[in-house]
Amino acid sequence: MRRLEWLKSWEGLLLAILIVIVVLNTFTTPHYLQAQNQINLFQLNIEKIIVALIMTFIIINAEIDLSVGSVMGLAGCVMAFLFERGVPFEMCLLAGLLTGVLAGAINGFMVAHVGLTSLIVTLAGQIGYRGLAHVLLENRSVGNFPDWFDRLGQQPLVGPFPVALITFFVLLIIALIILQWSGAGRYVFVIGYNREVARYSGVNVRRVKMTLFVMSGVISAFAGLLLAARLGSMRGDTALGTELEVITMVVLGGVSIFGGTGSLFGVLLSILIILNLRNGMGLLNITGEIQTGVIGILLILSVLLPNIGRGVREAWSRRRRVQRIRVEE
Amino acid sequence: MMERLKRYFRPEQLRELSLVFLIALIFLFFGTQIEGYFSPRIFNRVTSDVAIIAVVAIGETLVLLTRNFDLSVGSIVGLTAFAVGKLLTFHPDMLPIVALLSAIGLGAALGLLNGLLVSFGRVPSIIVTLGTMAIYRSTLVAYPAGTKNVVTNDLPQWILDLGRVQLFSIGEFNIRPVVAGALVMFVIFQLVTSYLRFGRRLYAIGSNPEAARIGGLPSERIVLSAFILCGAMAGLGGFMFLVRYGDLTPAAAQGMELQVIAAAVVGGVSTNGGSGTMIGALLGALMINLLQQSLLRWLVISDFWVDALLGMLILVAVTIDAVIINRLRNIWSQRGLETSPVDEKKMIEEESPDA
Amino acid sequence: MAEPILEIRHISKSFDTIQALDDVSLDLYPGEIHALMGENGAGKSTLIKVMTGVYHADEGEMLLDGKPIRVGNSVEAQAYGIAAIYQEPMIYPDLNVAENIFITHRSRGPIVNWRKMHQDAEKILAKLDVKLNVREPARGLTLAAQQTIEIAKAISLHVRVLIMDEPTASLSAHEVEQLFKLTRSLRDQGVSILFISHRMEEVFEIADRVTIFRDGRWISTLPRAEITRERAIHDMVGRKIEEFFAKSKGQRGELLMSVRGLSKENVFSDVSFDVYRGEVLGFAGLVGSRRTDVGLALFGVEPADSGEIILDGKVERIRCPEQALRVGVAYMTEDRRQIGLTMPMSITSNVTLPMLHQYLSRIGLIQRRGEEATAEHYRERLSIRTPSVRQPVAMLSGGNQQKVMLSKWLNTRPQILILDEPTRGIDVGAKAEVHQIINELAAQGLGIILISSDMPEIIAMSDRILVMREGRQMGIFPREEATQEIILAAAMGQDGDTAEAL
Repeated sequence: MRRLEWLKSWEGLLLAILIVIVVLNTFTTPHYLQAQNQINLFQLNIEKIIVALIMTFIIINAEIDLSVGSVMGLAGCVMAFLFERGVPFEMCLLAGLLTGVLAGAINGFMVAHVGLTSLIVTLAGQIGYRGLAHVLLENRSVGNFPDWFDRLGQQPLVGPFPVALITFFVLLIIALIILQWSGAGRYVFVIGYNREVARYSGVNVRRVKMTLFVMSGVISAFAGLLLAARLGSMRGDTALGTELEVITMVVLGGVSIFGGTGSLFGVLLSILIILNLRNGMGLLNITGEIQTGVIGILLILSVLLPNIGRGVREAWSRRRRVQRIRVEE
Repeated sequence: MMERLKRYFRPEQLRELSLVFLIALIFLFFGTQIEGYFSPRIFNRVTSDVAIIAVVAIGETLVLLTRNFDLSVGSIVGLTAFAVGKLLTFHPDMLPIVALLSAIGLGAALGLLNGLLVSFGRVPSIIVTLGTMAIYRSTLVAYPAGTKNVVTNDLPQWILDLGRVQLFSIGEFNIRPVVAGALVMFVIFQLVTSYLRFGRRLYAIGSNPEAARIGGLPSERIVLSAFILCGAMAGLGGFMFLVRYGDLTPAAAQGMELQVIAAAVVGGVSTNGGSGTMIGALLGALMINLLQQSLLRWLVISDFWVDALLGMLILVAVTIDAVIINRLRNIWSQRGLETSPVDEKKMIEEESPDA
Repeated sequence: MAEPILEIRHISKSFDTIQALDDVSLDLYPGEIHALMGENGAGKSTLIKVMTGVYHADEGEMLLDGKPIRVGNSVEAQAYGIAAIYQEPMIYPDLNVAENIFITHRSRGPIVNWRKMHQDAEKILAKLDVKLNVREPARGLTLAAQQTIEIAKAISLHVRVLIMDEPTASLSAHEVEQLFKLTRSLRDQGVSILFISHRMEEVFEIADRVTIFRDGRWISTLPRAEITRERAIHDMVGRKIEEFFAKSKGQRGELLMSVRGLSKENVFSDVSFDVYRGEVLGFAGLVGSRRTDVGLALFGVEPADSGEIILDGKVERIRCPEQALRVGVAYMTEDRRQIGLTMPMSITSNVTLPMLHQYLSRIGLIQRRGEEATAEHYRERLSIRTPSVRQPVAMLSGGNQQKVMLSKWLNTRPQILILDEPTRGIDVGAKAEVHQIINELAAQGLGIILISSDMPEIIAMSDRILVMREGRQMGIFPREEATQEIILAAAMGQDGDTAEAL
């Protein structure tokens, strides 16, 4: 009985959609399910899905971070900028990460301590941090990173799995543990469900929010650096528009945009759906921008359909009640 | 004395006054820094650019007033500009008025979709417009007809003239059609939000959505109208964009939504809905664009600082709103005892009765 | 005799398993003030919602001027001339007073004539004999002023049946008088007023007829002259008042906390009292007297601006709940739905939340077994009725939810426990249980501050009673001296004998 209920749930639906997509893809491309192809699938999007992990926490917390793409770009640009000027590469990387810390801290301070809405703060951040990235690299493209760095993304480390992919899985497991089993995770849920309840229960809401935004900054910065490694070069407009996809991954995964509910398992399923969908579209020669449009449709549907479902259910139960009264009369 | 002051200066008006002051400051400062700052050429440039942003900001303000966001306006501007450009390329004898109305109509249709999803689909406007921003942009890219870009050479002459002709001039300074059009739009919508019942209800819905719903205001229809109008204004902005630039790529107007929202927010339109004026949005657009254009020409710092400063500007504006304006509001109105947080949440007790 | 304007016939309404209204009937005549009384859960607010179209009745009908009507939503109710005013006025803070009154009107045309609107607003307010600046934004106005706006709104829409739901809850004595004057004037103009209140004194002052509900059922309708306090209580409660209040035994111990001159600008001023071990200090007053704010200040949620809180001989600055808990002060909110409990989470999670850090392993993981042991402990001690501590608290009855909340705060091992309306919205049996628990806690050495709007409860349960009015402390009365009249007089700010002989 429990398994049947689970299947009816959102995750069950996602699993069904995933299976359909994979089956369709396998028809168009015979080698679709081969390990190497699947790994490539992940590789092309590894940075986004890493950011999706922290975005899950943030949205469960009833906040949003629209600046992740810009922080990714900025971190990479800071790294590239310093590298251009001859700073030792390891220091450049460190500087990139620190950029993320700083950006996250600014976001977090504005939201947690000044009390502004995360929407407008991270919107401003999206503009501002991207602007700073442009200030640093202007119109240039910086590349020629050390070999070990360039190979970092692609080089298989354990079996056929590259470092980046392994990192994702490690982070996924850590995220899972924190969200489901740690005190911090429970705080995230409670605050997202109702900030006032948390406050009245003695939870330090400010500290949690600040931490979340700093983490978002750090992880976005980390992802930005990974992106630089994979692309082999860095531009002012790298990672432009990543927000849409990351948020879609989370919301499609069943995390409510209003906060308080959600699971990483759902997000993982939605990640698989989006990755396989993109892969399938790519194989059908659909261009990147159009793929983004499809992602946009997915995003809207993932919130619209449950609403419609609820409306239908309510109308149905109301009709049943009226019928019951009629019968009783 | 305080009473007199109270009658004439609401805190919001103080905000508008300080914007005028800041604009004057920027004007004077850069006037001393940049060669030929006060020339007609710069004037035309600035006013033409501001006109486009301002027109789109009108629509965005309507949506913001209802406590919603429209992030898709940039894509709508790009799409309508592109669509009309292509239309004119293939039908050069099309009447100008038809072209204009097509742009507005297309924008309105796109806005309609946004509005339906928000009002009746009950999807938060952030999600809807984040999605439609991508969808509309990808439609633009997928446009299969002929070459990818719109090129000035293919456009009928009147379009190109529209950008350059002067309606009337004060000495050396010309008022171009786009600028005049923007001003007319502003006057119209300032009147709408001040004197039309529809406009006032926008404020009501943003001020207290629950009360609006329970009080019997047709909230869904009003919010839907706001999104349609926003799309229509973006369509108009798209037409003006085409006039201004002629050459278009699929990346046209990408990112404009951020500028537009920044203009409104800096101009005092609250992201929480319920307050803000068209005049404020106009002043915000003017100030931001003036700053941008000035910085572009100021050799002291590179032009790439423009966006970074824009982000900071928004933050400053919103922080000032949150911290200072609220405090001013407290002083301005007679305050009774403030209700404590618990009391405020105490609605009618037995919502779903517990045993 | 005139015909009734509105007849409510055999209305029933249930939610899942709870029968909120069971075959109730009621008549409203023009030009009468008809009071509706009953305890929490009696069905009063459900009836209002059915009348205004927020809920749809399962059975029964409503007749307006003798003709059956269906009220599908608030717009239709408005069209029929049925309007409701609640304790929390629904106003638009950014619009001015005049606009607040007229914004929902459909007949004023698409263009706003500001001058006429201001004039019309002033006219209506004059008719109500109220002075307000119609050009002022509604944001800063007092609750009483906002309520007046709501009444003006109703009048402007030619209301025929005006429902007033606990309208006096947050008003000062003077404002209550003004409201009554307004209400009487409306009645004399032919409006039918349904006046809901649990304040017997007010009901007896203003009502023409009194209807009493209990447990969703109609019990009685009597003209005011024929009703007595005993009869009213009997109908509302179903048994004698002495039976369900347990008396507390006072065994005062050492001084736990001293509060001196506690003030918060525009909220409360100069509050001073002591709390002793084993004692229950009651906080009495009309709702709106700011007692909750004092509690919030002691707990650090909304810290005070000035004054001293002395615990264990030391002056403590309590600026956040964490600090309060550390010095042994805990506060249980009256609003268990919105801020007291996390509804979708289990009993266990709710109980351990403030002390979660004590249940974490070294790397921060939650030790569930320890958690559940705690939850089981309280389930037994407080007799929480539930199949399992893993159940989401949303599924519990009101009384059990209250017990979960109590467990949550007891688990913080407080020295001083502030209880804000702990028996609000729970059934009589659970109420008695809570009172018993409070007595036990006091006997075990806690110092308890009991904030309650229920006069009999506070008088029965407290060793001393502190009375507040509009943020000011009116006095502290030892139990022997406290009678309802004295407490009420202090709460309403009048000296001498003021409360009507009951």
